[in-house]
Amino acid sequence: MVKRALAIVLILITGYWLANALAQVPFGADKMLVGKYYLENVKDQTGAVNAVTAVVVNYRGLDTLGEVTVLFIAATGVAALLWRKKRERTAKSEGSVVLQTGSRLLLPFIMLFGAYIFIHGHLTPGGGFPGGATIATAFLMLYLAFREYEIPHKVFEPLEGLAGMSYVIVGLIGLAIGGYFLFDWIWQTWQLGHDNIGKLFSAGFIPIIYTLIGLKVGTELTGIVDNMVKEPKEGGQ
Amino acid sequence: MISEIIGEFLVLFGTIFYFLSSLGLIRMPDVYNRMQTATKSATLGSLGVIIGVGIWAIGHVGSYAWLPKTFVIAVFLLLTNPISAHALIRAAYKSGIPLWEGSIVDKYREYLEKEEGKEEVSDETKEGEQ
Repeated sequence: MVKRALAIVLILITGYWLANALAQVPFGADKMLVGKYYLENVKDQTGAVNAVTAVVVNYRGLDTLGEVTVLFIAATGVAALLWRKKRERTAKSEGSVVLQTGSRLLLPFIMLFGAYIFIHGHLTPGGGFPGGATIATAFLMLYLAFREYEIPHKVFEPLEGLAGMSYVIVGLIGLAIGGYFLFDWIWQTWQLGHDNIGKLFSAGFIPIIYTLIGLKVGTELTGIVDNMVKEPKEGGQ
Repeated sequence: MISEIIGEFLVLFGTIFYFLSSLGLIRMPDVYNRMQTATKSATLGSLGVIIGVGIWAIGHVGSYAWLPKTFVIAVFLLLTNPISAHALIRAAYKSGIPLWEGSIVDKYREYLEKEEGKEEVSDETKEGEQ
């Protein structure tokens, strides 16, 4: 009781302090310093209509590389924490017939939609991370509907590493051509797609990198799900 | 002009069904009845609102691009909502949530008991054969 009251008082004090600090920020006022530069130059410099993905992949590409690394470390960490030699699903009952048929029917549509999100990252809201998460959802659905289902590990883990490696290789090609890491060589040097801004084949390497990120995030989250639903076999290690 | 009126009507229709479904959540006695009202009318209401927005946009924005998107969303919702409702209700039943005390028949319970009886019988016969 005393603990809870103390916690509430502490949270109230923190909230008051934060509200005081936020009261000094003029909301609604125009305070774009860097943002204006992005908005004005994003189409010429990157070819992307979606300014967010242009900032995330092009202007601030290193942050995205860091995020991908964080996800990779998370997936590897989960796998290392839960590693056992003999592991199997321990679900007691199969999903119902409706659930199984429904997930079987919906699977290609969800995959298609995930691919749509990450391929159109430079045109529509979304990008690699939401697209990858959508694809992982499709596999999660299979895991929930079927007791026997297991992803093909021989395809998934190499694909994950390969996608991440290709991202770094794209950046390194930029280093070789343009002089700095993650330089958009397709747009700046080759000038591919300069006359169709706003269409699918534009925006330099943003669609390529987002396809790689989508594959990577999709396989990674699926791998995390796969590790979490399996438990060590009885009598095993 | 006509499309605007149709769209407005469909959105209104859908929101009324949304209201009815939330009313059903409050008024109904047990989980199963609540799911019944919530899923059916919310699905129909969503279809009305979503497709209504697509048709409304033809007249109001002057763009046909909204309609196929809203149509895809509506079909997806139409396919997924019943499945999720089915899974939820099945899980609720399996975890032992009781029916409303006013309910009279429970055919699923009878079926499950019959199945269990069958399995026991078959096990016994197997053991007898061995």
